[in-house]
This record gives sequence, C-alpha cells and structure tokens, in this order.
Amino acid sequence: MDRDEIIRVLQAFEAAGLEYVLIGAAAMGFHGLVRATEDLDLFIRATPENIERLRSALRQAYDDDPQVDEISSADLLGEYPAVRYFPPTGDLYFDVLTRLGEVASFETVDTEIKEVQGTKVRIATPLALYRMKKGTVREKDHVDAAALKERFDLKDET
Amino acid sequence: MRVQKFRSIEEMNKAPVRESQEPPFERFLRQCARYWEIAPKRYPRGVFKFRTIEEAQKAREKYPLLNK
Repeated sequence: MDRDEIIRVLQAFEAAGLEYVLIGAAAMGFHGLVRATEDLDLFIRATPENIERLRSALRQAYDDDPQVDEISSADLLGEYPAVRYFPPTGDLYFDVLTRLGEVASFETVDTEIKEVQGTKVRIATPLALYRMKKGTVREKDHVDAAALKERFDLKDET
Repeated sequence: MRVQKFRSIEEMNKAPVRESQEPPFERFLRQCARYWEIAPKRYPRGVFKFRTIEEAQKAREKYPLLNK
C-alpha cells in the first residue's frame, strides 16, 4: 500500500464530493490503533449519484481505469451491497459497502472528520467501529473490538 | 531510554509504552507498506461483488502470497 496512492485517492474522494465514511483498519489507524491491512473499507451513501461520484473519483485516481465502470448502482443498490475493487497498482484493494447486514449503513454510522495533508476524511467514531466489529465472526474483528473498548473506555450497551 | 530491564513479565507489561510523535494515520500507512514488503500477495484485477460481508471476507482467503 503506497502512501501517496492513498492520499491521492482520499483527495479524489473529496474532490468528487463522495459521501463516504472510512471504517475498518484505516479508521482504526486514524484513531491511533495501528495495524496493517490490505484494503480500505468504506461505506458510501447508497444513491446512484453517489455511486457515480465514487466511479469518478476512482477514474481520477487510477488514470481512467476502465474496470471502474464495472462498479454498478444496480449491484450496490440491489443484491450486492459489497463490491471489491482491485486497482491497477496491484498492492491494495477497496471494499465498498452500502450496508452491513442489518448492523450498519452510511446513514447509521456515527462519524467524525479528520484531516490528512489538507484533505478532509470522514471516519467512523471509535464507538461506531466497536459496534460493527464486536458482532462479527472474524477473530481479527474481536481483537479490534477489544482494543477499541480498552483504549476509549467504551461500555457495552444493554 | 533505549534499553529497559525488567525482573518479570508482569513488570514489563506495566511499563509505560513510549507514545510515537508521528501522526497515527502516517504510522498506519507505514505499517501497511511494511506488511506488503514482508507478505506481498497476488491480487486479481477488476471488480468483484458480494451478497454479504461474510462472502467478501471468505474471498480474501483465496489471494495467494506472491512468493509461494
């Protein structure tokens, strides 16, 4: 994962006006809980206009990669709420979600704005990340949830 | 202080960890780059779609390491 590439993508998201929120390890990283990952996970607002903004941003960041056009509104708004895009650079990928089962979507995740190199980045709050991660089946998510809980003194809701 | 000595694991675990002055997102990016150097993978190209996040997570297991 190349630093400049990530910054370029985040800048393209902002320039395109993409409504998104970073979740997963990148969001954890912004909160100071640093672990490596292979991908950037993001929720986007599930509208055709916003999905076009996503395509536009990725085309901008990846030299008009024609494969970006395969990211379709019909899929993301229909029966495929998770789409994975592998850019030509080949050392990372993007998981784009419009919803996470019944647990979360762009509209339901609490967010905050951080800044990296003058670019505003919307990320899930520690509590929102904790809520998403504590209920999954992945061991890695349980470790993340435990780390979030300890670092931010989060309480389980009843 | 480059070297610290401890009489026990418990003592070691209680020792404060030096906080990095580097912005956390920069540390995250550096960590990811280092991970890729150690364990590069061969990814497919293009766009793949999944009905559930579990399906998407399962697909991750299929990406082979480059040096295998």
